[in-house]
Amino acid sequence: MEGISQATNIMNSAMQVATQTAQQPDSFLPASMLEQADQIKQAISANDSLQTSQSTTSGEAGTSFANMLKSLAQDVSVKSAQAGEAVQGVLAGEGVPLHQAVIAAEEASVSFQLMVEVRNKLLESYQELMRMQV
Amino acid sequence: MIRIMSGADTTVAALNAERMKLEVISQNIANANVTNTPEGGPYKRKEVVFESVMNEAFKSQDGNNETPMMVKVGKVETDETPGITIHDPNHPDADAEGNVTLSNVNIHEEMVDMIMASRAYEANLSAMKYARSMAVQTLRIGRS
Repeated sequence: MEGISQATNIMNSAMQVATQTAQQPDSFLPASMLEQADQIKQAISANDSLQTSQSTTSGEAGTSFANMLKSLAQDVSVKSAQAGEAVQGVLAGEGVPLHQAVIAAEEASVSFQLMVEVRNKLLESYQELMRMQV
Repeated sequence: MIRIMSGADTTVAALNAERMKLEVISQNIANANVTNTPEGGPYKRKEVVFESVMNEAFKSQDGNNETPMMVKVGKVETDETPGITIHDPNHPDADAEGNVTLSNVNIHEEMVDMIMASRAYEANLSAMKYARSMAVQTLRIGRS
């Protein structure tokens, strides 16, 4: 739940930055997504309430928004590997309980959905920005 | 690590405990007619005792006291109630007077315990199901 509300916060500030950048067309370059992500990170740091919510969950890896996305992707990858191991453990008769494998698989699937949702939001705000009239 | 399905750890622990309970009950039923065990004497009924443990993963994260309590199998107790004694001189385990002490397992009791364990398992599965559906529904907030 916390992760989701945080993602929404980040997306909201992404939209803010996108709007700000569009209002100053001189300073806007069609930069790479990561450069833009750094701007978003600055916007997050500027906002105290957002910063507290970020520092509680992202931990030491949360130096930039890009890093945070990276650690999210890594988390999802780890979860999916764990699910794979658990299923393998069940099938190989290594004494892994069935429910543990199924729950691990579900958890991997839901966190993958979260990652896809974050990516969709990011891309959506980027495309919104690109469609903007100057 | 992200915690997308809240309470998943707790539910997994509870499911493990209930499964253990079910295993012990089936052991009791399987050994209901055993009159000779490696320890000597008839089989004695085993009973699972649950206990609560703190979820350490949560504790280290926020440092507050409101950590979810996980359940685990504390110990497996042996029921020392003596089983009934019958007179059967032909039984291989009969004593000098022809009496045989049977195991203290009561099949009816075990069946009721089994139903309870199975229902508790089901309840935990439902908790898991709703945790998942809450997470998925929350992800759909932004959808049109």
